Amino acid sequence: MQFIYHLIVFYLTVNLIWYLFREKKFWNQVSTAIVLIIFLLRLFLIK
Amino acid sequence: MITLKKNFFSALILLFLTIIICFFSAFEFLRMHENKKIYPSKGLSTQTKLSTYFKDLQNTPGDTDVYIFQGQKKGGNLLILGGTHPNEPASFITAVLLVENILVSQGKVVIIPRANSSGFTHSDSQEGNPQGFSLETTDGKRWFRYGSRLTNPIHQWPDPALYINPAGQRLSGTESRNLNRCYPGRIKGRLTEKIAYGIMELIKKEEIHLALDLHEAAPEYPVINAIVFHENSAELAALALMELQIEGFEFRLESSPPNLRGLSHREWGDYAKVRAILLETANASQGRFKGKPSASLIVNGKDKNYVKAAKLGRLFVPFDEKGIPLKLRVARHLAAINALVSGLKELAPSIVVELEKMPPPSLVKKEGIGCYLRAQK
Repeated sequence: MQFIYHLIVFYLTVNLIWYLFREKKFWNQVSTAIVLIIFLLRLFLIK
Repeated sequence: MITLKKNFFSALILLFLTIIICFFSAFEFLRMHENKKIYPSKGLSTQTKLSTYFKDLQNTPGDTDVYIFQGQKKGGNLLILGGTHPNEPASFITAVLLVENILVSQGKVVIIPRANSSGFTHSDSQEGNPQGFSLETTDGKRWFRYGSRLTNPIHQWPDPALYINPAGQRLSGTESRNLNRCYPGRIKGRLTEKIAYGIMELIKKEEIHLALDLHEAAPEYPVINAIVFHENSAELAALALMELQIEGFEFRLESSPPNLRGLSHREWGDYAKVRAILLETANASQGRFKGKPSASLIVNGKDKNYVKAAKLGRLFVPFDEKGIPLKLRVARHLAAINALVSGLKELAPSIVVELEKMPPPSLVKKEGIGCYLRAQK
């Protein structure tokens, strides 16, 4: 189960990073970075 | 030459900042996983782990410390469980207070202060609860964790949509992480069910006669300031109630509903055939009417919203400007334990448990908890 959890969180994290670099508007990038914090913590199972 | 766009630079800077924030907040989160030390009294005979009774718990976040106090004379065996719900601090603090003070002259006392140790490693999402609270001892402050009602989801994931517990009760999915819905546990179950199974094994192997589960509830919850008893303990609970009333502690008696399955007071009695009792006090910090969550609310129990709710008759306990402080909630638990132990002496003289150096409830209520706790080393 933990593997599936990691897979889902990893997929979404990669998507967020991809979006962060493609996004042109600065404030949208900031919003992405804020969401990314939570996903990175979850990726390393830190809660 | 590669031309780098402006948004690439800002993304790079933001990614760097994100990693920095993650790094520092990770320390904060991981600090919650550290178990603060408990300093047992000289009366401690053995300190062991729950995994001693159920090997599958070894090296899992469900394993927890078990403190055994064996008296010189043979007598009854008492189990006291704190921290089933780590967001109910009076439960955990009462257990700590007992571990750090008591001597047992007759019988055996087994104490588990952090029954759901995984629940202590995180906080309830979107509640804004503090990570902990501190109590003033004679040698300085001592810090305690304020955890979650449920097992940490990183230790048990995902929650099912519908949870059918080992006793066959249908519950919402999140309850699969609630230790007090998982009894009698499952050998091959999920972590919380395994903890419950470990506790059942401990009850059997230590030949427990009386098992107490310490809890707290929101002041608007009907089962409050109560002794919830399995039908095999009705007489004991009634005797204890009379003694408590003489001492000035108002309690109500609640019989464990036979069709509400998976709870300690039901399954300990049904499966392990021990006298099973659950104790409740009123904790404003876990209620839905509370204002701003804070360490002060946990310790002092003062909340103006609850004062208003009491005036409107919405609560099941009296609540005024003085609040319901932690010292009073702990004193209530101690008084109830005292009353139950002396009730057992009267009802079953062959399984007497004699406790010494137990912090007197009247003094805990008056002077506070700190003078009975050792300072953090």
